[in-house]
Amino acid sequence: MIKKDLSIDFMGVHFENPFCLSSSPVGNCYEMCAKAYDEGWGGVVFKTIGPADFEIDEVSPRFDELTKEDTPFVGFKNMEQIAEHPLEENLADLRRLKDAYPNKVLIASIMGTNEQTWEELAGMVEAAGADMIEMNLSCPQMTSHAMGSDVGTNPELCKKYCEAVKRGSKLPMMAKMTPNITDMVIPAKACMAGGADGIAAINTVKSIANVDLDRKIGLPIINGKSSISGFSGKAVKPLALRFIQQMRDAEGLENLPISGIGGIETWEDAAEFILLGSSTLQVTTAIMQYGYRIIEDLTNGLMHYMAEQGVEHLSELVGLANKNMIPAEKLDRDYKVLPYIDWDKCIGCGRCLISCFDGAHQAITWDEATRRPTVDPDRCVGCHLCKLVCPVDAISAGEVVMKAGRVGTAASKQI
Amino acid sequence: MTIEKYQQEAKGYTMTTVMAEAARCLLCHDAPCSAACPAHTDPAKFIRSVRFRNFKGAAETIRENNALGSICARVCPTEKYCELACTRTEIDCPINIGGIQRFVTDFEQNANMDILKKGPANGLNVAIIGSGPAGLQAAATLLTLGYGVDIYEKNEKAGGYLTYGIPEYRLPSDIVDVEIQRISNLGANITYNVTVGQDITMAALKADHDAVIIAAGASVAKTLPLFADNPYVQSAVDFLAEVKSNPAGVDLPTNVLVIGGGDVAMDVDTTLKLLDVKNVTDVVYEEFAEFKASDKELAGTQKQGVTIVDGYVPTAVNGNTVTFKHRQLNSELTIEADKIILAVGQQADVTNLGIELENNELTHGGFHTADPKVFVTGDLAQGDKTVVVAVQKGKQTAEEIHRVLGGQN
Ligand SMILES: Cc1cc2nc3c(=O)[nH]c(=O)nc-3n(C[C@H](O)[C@H](O)[C@H](O)COP(=O)(O)OP(=O)(O)OC[C@H]3O[C@@H](n4cnc5c(N)ncnc54)[C@H](O)[C@@H]3O)c2cc1C
Ligand SMILES: Cc1cc2nc3c(=O)[nH]c(=O)nc-3n(C[C@H](O)[C@H](O)[C@H](O)COP(=O)(O)O)c2cc1C
Ligand code: SF4
Ligand code: SF4
Ligand code: SF4
Repeated sequence: MIKKDLSIDFMGVHFENPFCLSSSPVGNCYEMCAKAYDEGWGGVVFKTIGPADFEIDEVSPRFDELTKEDTPFVGFKNMEQIAEHPLEENLADLRRLKDAYPNKVLIASIMGTNEQTWEELAGMVEAAGADMIEMNLSCPQMTSHAMGSDVGTNPELCKKYCEAVKRGSKLPMMAKMTPNITDMVIPAKACMAGGADGIAAINTVKSIANVDLDRKIGLPIINGKSSISGFSGKAVKPLALRFIQQMRDAEGLENLPISGIGGIETWEDAAEFILLGSSTLQVTTAIMQYGYRIIEDLTNGLMHYMAEQGVEHLSELVGLANKNMIPAEKLDRDYKVLPYIDWDKCIGCGRCLISCFDGAHQAITWDEATRRPTVDPDRCVGCHLCKLVCPVDAISAGEVVMKAGRVGTAASKQI
Repeated sequence: MTIEKYQQEAKGYTMTTVMAEAARCLLCHDAPCSAACPAHTDPAKFIRSVRFRNFKGAAETIRENNALGSICARVCPTEKYCELACTRTEIDCPINIGGIQRFVTDFEQNANMDILKKGPANGLNVAIIGSGPAGLQAAATLLTLGYGVDIYEKNEKAGGYLTYGIPEYRLPSDIVDVEIQRISNLGANITYNVTVGQDITMAALKADHDAVIIAAGASVAKTLPLFADNPYVQSAVDFLAEVKSNPAGVDLPTNVLVIGGGDVAMDVDTTLKLLDVKNVTDVVYEEFAEFKASDKELAGTQKQGVTIVDGYVPTAVNGNTVTFKHRQLNSELTIEADKIILAVGQQADVTNLGIELENNELTHGGFHTADPKVFVTGDLAQGDKTVVVAVQKGKQTAEEIHRVLGGQN
């Protein structure tokens, strides 16, 4: 079995591998985190700890899922707030974890209600043995508007609370961003100005996943009502990647240390987050669905990817894709790539025909007798919708054609 | 003897597993599956409805095209029709169209849907002889077109081989009963225990109706002269009818000899095994390479542990002892059994119905007879002898009558 060094340094802390539990029920207590460490996770972001006097009172049921055909958990909606366990118990668990697993990274997620409680919590988790602090500025379903994503969308508060945490503790600290905002660069810069050492992104997206059609209530139903709350899992990956790219692209944030979160299930997801600038990675929903054991394929798959890329250190991969994302107005619009249909692979389902007519440019014709499609190169705009809908990968990128009157050669295009 | 195994139908899809199967469907542009369904049940359309979670719409597609949709879902030899044509086969294996159809029609029943509606009465009446699938579908189509329908059935229950042939583990009686009830709710007037040509004449039916459909099927067993008047012998269809009508009431010995190699013989073999008969030996005229039974039925029978001997013809019978000779080899076989079941085919009995048949079917294609008022459908018309083709013929016969009579008085 392949062996590669997956270790990476992030905000001055050494991780044996970049994979961490993200702050959520998957890291709720000592036993859970210990099991995750035993199964190979490099770090744990413990379930967000709040001030002693902020009472957590959860609803039941508290989850919902978005499905597609027979695929469950396309996306996952939750109505949980922060740690249900008492503060003292959480701090005791942190202490036990650090004692039992001195070489694993222990990150305390905290959420205060004002400058004083942010500062106090920071001191307490440092004393309990945490290696790092994550500030939860982003839970979208807190019962208090002085907490959670209402804070994370307010740059002044972000900065003030970061300063408070930095007063309370010397530990490296990252601020966890809410995606319920148009421009994440603004709160990220505010947090960095307040002393944050890095950014964790993203927390959950405010959502309604389903509505009960008979009762006319969103799901889950709590005594006849429901609430908007956070969405996570595979469906949010594209949003997370976009926010991470936008931050790394912002002036002054080019080398921003990022812990990437949002819909990571496979090593390929993980590699995408790394290439867009994440040094560590955090996971919840995939663990809730499949368990900690997914770490085996995350780490092994990433090792094989490193081998394929000829890379010895994971850090060499961080951010390699950032420079290849450019503004839409700078893209080369001088050519089109015609689809090539391999008639030997084609099984004659006609899906390309339907999609090209109903969703593209009526460029495909159909031979009823042979059940085979043909592309008209003049009508075709090269959108490749047909390629995406073909169930057997019979359609690939074919001939490159320059648009009329453009300079340059088709051969020079990197398609 | 226990009857649970005989009464137990295989598990169907759940909501999740049916979505998985529907997601495998390629949603073909020109849907060869739909083109290959004799009854035009339109699988491509109802599978697409399932894919987009419109189960009620799926049920409408099935029911409006096929009044026996939940029966066909269970008994269609799909490997010869829709699934044979399925494009997905080019990737791995065909969509389980029968299974999806069963899920949808079960959904329809659980939702108490009432899809077929009686057409406004047009004042015309049609008599149908026989209540097998062909007669039932013809009735359903005529009723939706506004005709009055009188069905005459010689047995005490309707359904033909659906009720008296196809075994319970493949086609539960309550499924058949519900389908028949739907058609009788539509307005079919069914008279039981009446043999046309014996208890009532064709002339009387013609006098009272604008058209008469003969859908009498091949409802009588064939036999072999060697076995005439042998007290150990029962025909396959009589045996299957007896078991289906009252499974707990049949008394079976430990050693049964079956003769025949078609699907009906396989049904007999499997039924015997499911009823805990210890030794079932089936001696078949054809060799395996030329077997008539479908691969699916043969495999099912073999799985039950039936001994199948191929290539032998019976040459001498002495009470319960039968001697066979191999058709090619110089080989002889003698079997003594407690009971002998003959599955050597079925034939039509159209006594006094005024039609001529050859090989148990009309000598010409289509549904017309020499008498412009009299039509023939189902197994008696040319074409495949299956339920779905009986449905197709029943529908086409009704449409032909509608064309001829013009739907107006
Ligand atoms: C054991 C068995 C298993 C089968 N399994 C399958 C299967 O899995 N799949 C499949 O597709 N096909 C199967 N078939 C074939 C299928 O059942 C027939 O093709 C189909 O039933 C033919 O329909 P029908 O309406 O023409 O005739 P039938 O079903 O034979 O119905 C004819 C009806 O007419 C009545 N009748 C006859 N004469 C008179 C009269 N003079 N007066 C009043 N009523 C009369 C009979 O009592 C009967 O009810 C099977 C057949 C058998 C015997
Ligand atoms: C049930 C549940 C509870 C969560 N609780 C917290 C929390 O207490 N603190 C926090 O910072 N994020 C919390 N999150 C957000 C996750 O840590 C993570 O940011 C988000 O789910 C996206 O990652 P994923 O797609 O891997 O789940 C929670 C998520 C879920 C599903
Ligand atoms: S690339 Fe777009 S326009 Fe061209 S054939 Fe495919 S779907 Fe049609
Ligand atoms: S979608 Fe693919 S398999 Fe289907 S017809 Fe087009 S090229 Fe052939
Ligand atoms: S042929 Fe097969 S894959 Fe195509 S629509 Fe029909 S069931 Fe689906």
